Amino acid sequence: MLHVLLIEDDPAIAEMYRVQLEYDGFRVTVATTGEIGYAIVVNAEPDIVLLDLLLPDRSGLEIMADVKERLPNHPPVVILSNYGEPAMIDRGLSLGAIEYLVKSRVTPASVSQSIRGWIEQARRGRSEPSN
Amino acid sequence: MVLAERLALNLTALGFVALGAATAWAWYRYRGQAQGRLAAALVCLAIVAALGRVQDLFGLKGGIVTVIGIIEILAFMASGYFVLMFRDAFLPLHPRARQVAVAALAVSCALGVADVTVLSRAGRGVTAAAGAELILTWVVFTGEPIIRFWLASRSVPSVQKARMRALSFGFAGLIAILVFDVFGGSAVQSPTAIIATQLIALAMVPVIYVSFAPPAMLRNLWRMGEQAELRAAIQDLLIFSPTRQELAEKAAGWARRLLGAQGSFIVDSQGAIVASAGVDSADVIEIIAARTGSPAGGIEAPLHGRGEAIVMPLHLTEGTGFLGVTAGPFTPLFGSDEVNQLQGYASSVTAGLERVRVTERLAAIENNKTQFLNLASHELRGPLTVVRGYVSMLEDGLLGNLNERGRKAVPVITAKVLEMNALIEQMIEAARLEDGALMLRPEKGDLREIVKDAVDAVAPLNDDRHPIRLKCPERPVVVNADAERIKTIVSNLVGNAVKYSPDGGSIQVEIVNRGGIARVSVKDRGVGIAKEDLPILFTRFGRVSTPETDHLPGTGLGLYLGRQLARLHGGEITVDSDPGRGSTFTLHLPVVAPPDPRSRQERLHSAANRSI
Repeated sequence: MLHVLLIEDDPAIAEMYRVQLEYDGFRVTVATTGEIGYAIVVNAEPDIVLLDLLLPDRSGLEIMADVKERLPNHPPVVILSNYGEPAMIDRGLSLGAIEYLVKSRVTPASVSQSIRGWIEQARRGRSEPSN
Repeated sequence: MVLAERLALNLTALGFVALGAATAWAWYRYRGQAQGRLAAALVCLAIVAALGRVQDLFGLKGGIVTVIGIIEILAFMASGYFVLMFRDAFLPLHPRARQVAVAALAVSCALGVADVTVLSRAGRGVTAAAGAELILTWVVFTGEPIIRFWLASRSVPSVQKARMRALSFGFAGLIAILVFDVFGGSAVQSPTAIIATQLIALAMVPVIYVSFAPPAMLRNLWRMGEQAELRAAIQDLLIFSPTRQELAEKAAGWARRLLGAQGSFIVDSQGAIVASAGVDSADVIEIIAARTGSPAGGIEAPLHGRGEAIVMPLHLTEGTGFLGVTAGPFTPLFGSDEVNQLQGYASSVTAGLERVRVTERLAAIENNKTQFLNLASHELRGPLTVVRGYVSMLEDGLLGNLNERGRKAVPVITAKVLEMNALIEQMIEAARLEDGALMLRPEKGDLREIVKDAVDAVAPLNDDRHPIRLKCPERPVVVNADAERIKTIVSNLVGNAVKYSPDGGSIQVEIVNRGGIARVSVKDRGVGIAKEDLPILFTRFGRVSTPETDHLPGTGLGLYLGRQLARLHGGEITVDSDPGRGSTFTLHLPVVAPPDPRSRQERLHSAANRSI
């Protein structure tokens, strides 16, 4: 069973995604702060991380940078944010997120459907030498 | 010849006495500390010059001659020392240098006194050596300051510059004469040489005097070259300064230059110092508090040990503020000329400050509006995300089975949520546009695909009464465009077509590629737009108000944004309408050469790989 870590502080959104993802057969862990989320990434080695940017303790972009720097074989990270500014999207992608999604433009179902694809894409990306 | 010689000597002496008297009088009137030192130096020089002639004129002999000689030497050395102290007043000396100067003064005075008393019977060589020491010390005392003044004068306004240079030049002339007298040998003794040196010394009198108290005419003359440039700069400043603070600071700086003043300040109606330069805040407060001049502004008396000031009222909307300049050791004694000049300048500054106040307020209002738009739209996105997510889950049956009525309600909620989402996106986009933060992400792509996506995006909002017919050319229409933005424009046009055809009717979307321009036209059979209403269609929040359309929701942002986005792409949106029969909106976009053969999917893939 694939393990999805959702780092999201808004309980309504977290719960909604949990319902959809569990329905689709994923194991879901929700972290409501950046620190807890980072600890889970390190210790529980989820298969994919869905990361919100505006968290109570630290910014999602900081967590993204930490994950990239300290965990060479980190799971793919998908940013799921309310911000849709192009500059923010560029920052997120340049820090190594596999995808940047604006929450209001997607549905839990569409995200859930793409998860296997992202994991596969990340696996392929890792096995190929980067160019 | 002897007569001419004596005449020259007397005239020069008279000149220096007059200079001493004039400077003493000028100092007595204003009593600036630094000016006092220069006045003392000049008075000492006058004493030297006068005593030099007394002996000759009155044929004095004996002990009195020695006494006169002693006074002469002491006054002479004091004059040099006071010039050095004058320099110290605004280019302070190192404490060690000051001690050395006092020691040198004491030694020279002692040596000079000895020279005319005990050493007067010693050999000629000894007397000459003592004399040379005196002259040398005096040359150092005056030479160092005049070089300093000359160097410092390079970076000051023209009036101060001219005055500092006059002083340097005058004393340099005196030094040259002295050096020539002492070291010139026998050539100095010739009557011609005496007359020439005396006349040169005499010529230095007015030069030194104008540095102390230049007449208004000279001040004007000095300023003239600078003034045209000043005026242009001031005008620029008053028209283009973005903030009140900046304007006040620059205006104060220019006031200082304009009048060659020591300091300047601007005080607002509350008495707070908005800007000041070259003057202490404590002094500004004191000057304003001690204001005794007329309400129309004018010269204020000097405050303890400082120069005078001119203070002009600034009649601002919020009350009366003040613009002032202060005099210093190298600034003119202000006259009516300066008052008039500052008066004219003050009214310009008032106008400038008023302009900035109005534009600052407008900018604040505009900024608030943009910030509100930004905040509101971002805050709205969050809750809407949850609503949209759960509705889509309801629709998928993920939350359990709905009954018949529930199943009918879901698509309506979906359509309304999407509509709201589109409105929020429009607001965010408008806020970005206002902030100048809107960046396009152009990429070569097929316009046919983009338009197809746009039409599909509108489908959930549509119903059976508005069939959409899409007509595309067979070959790709390649544009270098931000696909998301073009999609937004087209879906907005199609959405409008649906919205403004309340009685139904088909909607035709057609792409035509001709002459390097792609045209996407959206044609409806709706209510149409009256000719006089066309101009407001594309303005921000501009909505046409008619009985048929008043009840329809909308922000009035869609077409405004559409046109702005089209223009950012080098394109345009045009409209053609027939009231009562329908409208045609057309998006024009420049076409480019065929795209990269690899598909968009492949490129995305490689981009994703690169980013890991």
